[in-house]
Amino acid sequence: MRELAKIFIAVGTQSVGGGTATLFLLRRFLVERKRLISERDFTEAWALCQLSPGIHLVALAGLLGQRIAGWRGVIVAVSGMMVPAALITVAMTAAYGLIADQPVANAALKGMAPATGGMTLGLALVLVRDARRHGWRAGVDIAVVIIASAVLLITTLSSIAVIVSGAAIGALFLGRGRPTTPEGATE
Amino acid sequence: MSSDLIALFVVFLKDSALALGGLGSLPLLRQDLVATGLATDAQLVQALAIGRLSTGPNGLWVVSLGYQMAGGLGAVMALVASSLPPLVILPATAVARRWLLSVPFAGLIRGTALATAGLLCATGISLIVPNGEAPSGWQIVTGIAAAGVTYQGRLHPAVVVIAGALLGVLLAA
Repeated sequence: MRELAKIFIAVGTQSVGGGTATLFLLRRFLVERKRLISERDFTEAWALCQLSPGIHLVALAGLLGQRIAGWRGVIVAVSGMMVPAALITVAMTAAYGLIADQPVANAALKGMAPATGGMTLGLALVLVRDARRHGWRAGVDIAVVIIASAVLLITTLSSIAVIVSGAAIGALFLGRGRPTTPEGATE
Repeated sequence: MSSDLIALFVVFLKDSALALGGLGSLPLLRQDLVATGLATDAQLVQALAIGRLSTGPNGLWVVSLGYQMAGGLGAVMALVASSLPPLVILPATAVARRWLLSVPFAGLIRGTALATAGLLCATGISLIVPNGEAPSGWQIVTGIAAAGVTYQGRLHPAVVVIAGALLGVLLAA
């Protein structure tokens, strides 16, 4: 159990930027170095995590922790990965807060806004690339994206209504056909 | 715990539960918090940037937002609210694994992913070009470049955030 905690704390505090960096470290520690879980089990758990709401890496930590050490493993894995990383996030936010009113911080914010906006747009396009299907079905999938985007930009409808509608349309009409990548979304 | 913090917890929990991925809650939280005046776009941008510079899953950007809005308790609230929904996968895989692998569920996830992607596209654009403000040419170019390198996946996200901040200091100071 102590080794499991060490691994997840290391992953939480050493992977900068989240996403693939965190996934890479998890795989390296659990599969390659400590051999606590097989490559096949790891891949299957990651595929299942794409079906979870919220942060997929939390779902992955929960599933792997459970497989390795039961319910105590879930708590150790999730809190090990999240709590120290959250403390680092809070420390960075507090540090930024000390200089937030300075002119230089305001100027930096003017550059960070388009950078984070652009990254959000880029990640959305990655999500589309991974979730859309082949052939004529890709056109249907991309139409759903454009409509969802237009609804938020043009109307006052809630985002929740868009997501629930997307889920319902998906369940009824978008189940057939394979995505362009087997694991779907990666973030 | 104050009723304001409990109300905030409910919003964070609901938006995390309806989101797909660490960034999926961004359009929902922006609508619930920025549109209602509880938070600002500047706080959102700071949280997103710090989430990319910090360690761990990038979904931890909500912890930065929670801290900015309500201090240490706000950070704890956001951490709990974002950590609980993904764990639904544990009982789900135990009791309904076959259903999770069915065609309708695959469609449900695809529909949610595509709708989330659409919402994220709109949110990304409106962060590059905020309402009521005319963006400078360099900001639009920065936004397009950030979208391009993120799509390509060749530059580390922290590098993109730092480059954006440096451009801001150089061109907007």
